[in-house]
Amino acid sequence: MRILLAGMNHRTAPLEVRERFAVDDPEPWLVKLVAGDEIEEAVLLSTCNRVEVVVTTRRLDAARHRLRAFFTRELGRGEALPEHHSPHAVLYEHVDTDAVRHLFRVASSIDSMVVGEPQILGQVKEAYRAASGCGASGPVLSRLFSSAFAAAKRVRSETRLAERPVSVARVAVDLARQIFETLEDKRALLVGAGEMIEMALDALRGAGLSGASVANRTPAHAGELARRFGATAHGLAELPQLLSAADIVLTCIAAERPLLDVPLFEEALRARRRRPIFAIDIGVPRNVDPEVNRLDGVYLYDLDDLGGVAEANAEERRRESVRAEALVQEEAERFDGWLSALQAVPTIRRLRARAEAIRSAELERAAARLGLSEDARQGVEALTRAIVNKLLHAPMSRLREQAEREEGLAYLEAARVLFALDDPTAPGAEADLDGGAASAADAAPGGGEDDGASGGGA
Amino acid sequence: MIELHQLTAALYLLASLATFAGLALPGSSFGRLATWLLAGGALLHGLGFARLHTLVPPPPLTDLPLAVSLMAWLAVLFALALVRRGRLESLAGLVAPFAFLGVFYASLSLGGAAAGAASQAGGWPHLHVVLASAGLSLLGVAGLAGILFLAEDRALKAKRRAGWGRRLPSLEALDRVNLLSLAIGFPLLTLGVITGMLWTEGVTGHWWPSDAHATWSAIAWAIYGALAAARFAAGWRGREAAASAAAGFAFLLFAVIGIGVVA
Repeated sequence: MRILLAGMNHRTAPLEVRERFAVDDPEPWLVKLVAGDEIEEAVLLSTCNRVEVVVTTRRLDAARHRLRAFFTRELGRGEALPEHHSPHAVLYEHVDTDAVRHLFRVASSIDSMVVGEPQILGQVKEAYRAASGCGASGPVLSRLFSSAFAAAKRVRSETRLAERPVSVARVAVDLARQIFETLEDKRALLVGAGEMIEMALDALRGAGLSGASVANRTPAHAGELARRFGATAHGLAELPQLLSAADIVLTCIAAERPLLDVPLFEEALRARRRRPIFAIDIGVPRNVDPEVNRLDGVYLYDLDDLGGVAEANAEERRRESVRAEALVQEEAERFDGWLSALQAVPTIRRLRARAEAIRSAELERAAARLGLSEDARQGVEALTRAIVNKLLHAPMSRLREQAEREEGLAYLEAARVLFALDDPTAPGAEADLDGGAASAADAAPGGGEDDGASGGGA
Repeated sequence: MIELHQLTAALYLLASLATFAGLALPGSSFGRLATWLLAGGALLHGLGFARLHTLVPPPPLTDLPLAVSLMAWLAVLFALALVRRGRLESLAGLVAPFAFLGVFYASLSLGGAAAGAASQAGGWPHLHVVLASAGLSLLGVAGLAGILFLAEDRALKAKRRAGWGRRLPSLEALDRVNLLSLAIGFPLLTLGVITGMLWTEGVTGHWWPSDAHATWSAIAWAIYGALAAARFAAGWRGREAAASAAAGFAFLLFAVIGIGVVA
């Protein structure tokens, strides 16, 4: 069983490329992916900063081709991209241990544009939940993701990476102070009602912002958020009027095309007598037409722009991330141990070694007690060996056969449990030779934490 | 007097260096040091002017080097008054190099002028120089704020955020300084023009002298009149207000001082 991960992120692809590959609902895509015979299990993660697919396969090359075709022909919708932004140029692939480590780094927010930001874990959990909901994820990815959540939890609690994350919201507040003398007489307009919007509202309030309006497709969601922060709630139809009253505009809402364009901003600037507007667009695809930045008095920052700003402040976090990398490496090795223990050969080898250890130990004891002659001893030896071989023959050949099939993992796991192969105190355990089994001892699928946090709209 | 002026120039130079060090090294206390050096310079500068009266005969303010020195002093005082507000420290610090140049020029050329024609016209010449210098210094600060605004606006639009950007005043504060300087500076300049006319009338009997200084000053005044109208009546602000304040001051400097130096 091999693990393959393919995708693009903020480092390999600019926002205008990423937004073309962004996926709102991963389920139909996952169903298509696992329908073929190249891929057994699949999870699709699509956030503001990355689109990644992680799969398990028995045919690595076939799965590779399948994923490349998936990105170029299906997700990319066949739209022409500039040559240097072709999917081949922006896609990366990781296999086995590298794939595991990459996923753990993503979940732990080490790979995030804003290192240490808390949303990514919720988004990874959401991606896994969607995959298991439509049956695209099976025992290996289930185990992989719960290990990823465990790794993220360790990074969060054992390093200071997440202690003071340079969140997008904080960077936005910092920039707002470059434009405005004070935020105390300023009003903000927030478009969307997701987690990012909530964090931004919190940060702006903390910086002394005087008032805010929240506009959302579902005004009820906006209403709930608005009540909590003492803001006013509106529908999207009111955007033109709201925009002219807003000094700071922050958008993060799912929309196919920009909601706020140049004419709308021109109108707002006229209405507010050219007072400046600071617009922050963290939607993917973008919610504000990038051309708006050309208008005199409008300062538009999208996610990539803010990332560049955050980068400058992240030196200390980078040091902390070295420790986080070590933790991730440790967790990745633990998972590798589990995975390799689930291969047929080590299981069979250990089963045989255990049986042989028990047989020879019992024989030694019996020979001493009964005072057997050398001839008799050889006879008993042959007899016990035949019994053990006959008893083990059927289970071992079944394991070998089943391991070639998809449900083979369940058999391997069952064998390990029934024969207590992972229990170092079981009879015959002293004969264990393969080291990988030790790390499989605590390898019950689904053992990871899941606090139910959901991903933001970003 | 001349020694005091040289000492003042030295303090303004140190204040300039401290300002640049403060912008280059965020988190250092050079910015605060610059403000104190500037304040010390302004104090010495004031003492220098006070000592003018002890000279016999006192040199007239109508002497160009002295007028330039007075302009520099008033600009520094205005900038120091602004420091009380927010992050305007660096703006005040950036006035220092210009004040240094003004005082340095004055200390080189001082002492040559004799009490001449001015004494015949009573108090008008001095009032003219004081009001016009005050107007010029404020419009100069407006111009400087305009240049900073343009630089910061460009950096923000281009998503470049150098370390110095965080030490500069916010765009809103710069725009406000621009507005305030124009609101006080333009009336002072107008009063300077009027007192200049009264001076001319007292000496020659005509309201308007036919020299280049008067003609160019009148054009500069008209330009500022248009700028003030655009700013207060038509609601200009931001980039265009900043650019016109910078361009307007460059023209004014040429009209009032450049022509004088050339002549």
